[in-house]
Amino acid sequence: MTSLELRLRALGHELDIPPERDLAPAVIERLSLSRTRPFPWRRAGVLALALVAIAVGAAFAVPQARTAILRFFHIGGETIIRVETLPPAVERAQAGGFGMPVSRPEAEHTLGFRLMLPPFHGSGPDRVYVLGDSVGTVILRSHGRPVLLSEFSSAGEMGLKKLTVNQTSVQWVRVDGRDAIWIRGTHTLTYFDRQLGFREQTIRIRGNVLVWTGGRLTLRLEGSLTRAQAIALARTID
Amino acid sequence: MVDRPLDETELVERARRGDLRAWETIVRTHQGIAFRTAYVLTGSAADAEEAAQDGFVKAYRALGRFRRGAPLRPWLLRIVANEARNRRRSAARRERLSLRAAAEARPGDAVPSPEAALLSRESHEQLLAAIERLSDEHRDAIACRYFLDLSEDETAAALHVRRGTVKSRVSRALERLREELEGEL
Repeated sequence: MTSLELRLRALGHELDIPPERDLAPAVIERLSLSRTRPFPWRRAGVLALALVAIAVGAAFAVPQARTAILRFFHIGGETIIRVETLPPAVERAQAGGFGMPVSRPEAEHTLGFRLMLPPFHGSGPDRVYVLGDSVGTVILRSHGRPVLLSEFSSAGEMGLKKLTVNQTSVQWVRVDGRDAIWIRGTHTLTYFDRQLGFREQTIRIRGNVLVWTGGRLTLRLEGSLTRAQAIALARTID
Repeated sequence: MVDRPLDETELVERARRGDLRAWETIVRTHQGIAFRTAYVLTGSAADAEEAAQDGFVKAYRALGRFRRGAPLRPWLLRIVANEARNRRRSAARRERLSLRAAAEARPGDAVPSPEAALLSRESHEQLLAAIERLSDEHRDAIACRYFLDLSEDETAAALHVRRGTVKSRVSRALERLREELEGEL
């Protein structure tokens, strides 16, 4: 060990780190109140249904959303539920943004899949934002506007839930012959994370969103593109 | 006859089946390192406590995904550190770490001369200031490896990167610190 490393170790002993309180009572009280058992993530056979069930349960758990679930859409790992009133939500920046910015190889390693991207010049996007260990997001430019492309595995261990209200338009459309969903207007987004279980923070989305599947991935484009522009861009993503 | 204490694998299995007392034992075993990890990442005792508490709640709910036989501590640290980083990002700032007050000697420490104590404190403060000037990723790597004494694997889990990335970040951070402190070492 070098002298600098020895100094660092010594410094660590001199840091003013407050003594921790006993966290166990608060942790156990929270778990007792919610009466939850560890979620059986590995039961792949029931997983897709479980995700949907949790999504619906979560919608009902929000008092403002308890009034009624009006309609239900599901595509890839994403479930879209139309409710009468949107639950309280924070802007994306307050929710921690898009995740950690990392290089593309590092993102693909963490996510466990190759990112699908539109054709690009040079080596492509040098920065990918990774949320939890599940959602990869790159910022593209299309028609002079920034557009977010987010991708995650549809393979049952992760899911996104969107809540929409009547003023928000939700339509089935096609991308290269495959089903896709076009959402126009404000809605909220909550995601399930492979590592962390159900993430309770709900984010308000103000742009338009196109959701479709590509292989085992669920892809979403978010921004201020028109439906035709979004579908045209989605067709180039491979 | 005295009951033998349960080992961690048995505790995890019990917790997986919904035994909260088993989870309570696990929380008590790991809460110290969980809190300290969250603290060096956020610099805030309140944020660290919340991050550690939320981390233990989320880890319990995600136990079904924990690979049987894998070491529990890196997995817990990964979840807690993720919570801590989320709070740091939400606050868009990190509190600076500070040294203990000079009078707070550790029990059993030899009493240094006043001059030696002053020199040592100045040297610690200089080094800490240089660390705080590093990028977050370099600073976090140094904090995990040297302040918390985490292994490379545990650091990789806490920082959510590969082991090789930990090595390169630590190496670059040490290089930066040497440059900054050139002539002082």
